[in-house]
Amino acid sequence: MSSNGLALFVFLAFLFPVPLLVWLDRPRSAKQGGE
Amino acid sequence: MYAGHFAAGVLLRAKEPQAPFWAILIGVGFLDLLFGPFVLLGIERVTVTPDVSPGFSLDYIDWSHSLAMSVAWSALFGALFLKKGWRVATVIAAAVFSHFLLDLPMHPPDLALWPGSSMHLGFGLWQAMPYGWWFVELGVIVAACAYYIHRAQSSRAFGRRPWLVTAVILALHVFNSPWISQSGQS
Repeated sequence: MSSNGLALFVFLAFLFPVPLLVWLDRPRSAKQGGE
Repeated sequence: MYAGHFAAGVLLRAKEPQAPFWAILIGVGFLDLLFGPFVLLGIERVTVTPDVSPGFSLDYIDWSHSLAMSVAWSALFGALFLKKGWRVATVIAAAVFSHFLLDLPMHPPDLALWPGSSMHLGFGLWQAMPYGWWFVELGVIVAACAYYIHRAQSSRAFGRRPWLVTAVILALHVFNSPWISQSGQS
């Protein structure tokens, strides 16, 4: 891997988990009860 | 450190559920989100070293990762959220600065005090413990996620799937292990 490839890899590695983690962390709905 | 930064993010999320989680997560990775473009633009330098742990040498990262710039980026990114209140802005600023604090034990002395400073910080666990650092970071992840799970179970404001959040972070840590990845210990 080149230096630029590593830099791009690091950039994407810190971005790609964000949407999934935000979705998993969403508030519980009022209907759902205790989970 | 990689997954440990996300673990710091869930800890801060549990401390202040009013802070947008996406902003916390961008915050904990902010210095490396700058590092990537800075290298591509020639502002910072990194050399790939496949045979030497951690697989790369961070030759010049003063504008993204120095102590002074970490404080500056923390203040700037936190200030974007002042309209949500001082507490939220402070937590998001803390998310950014947590990156420096967590990198400090892992990095060799490549964290400058300020851009161009001859003094560099870093305790060097990556090199002193080429495999052991992974377990140190695992300890950080377990502690932070345990706190997040504990708080999430008593709150409706966040954390619908705290165990899955923990599983994702642990999976990222496994993929970043020295047994699998040669160059992921960002």
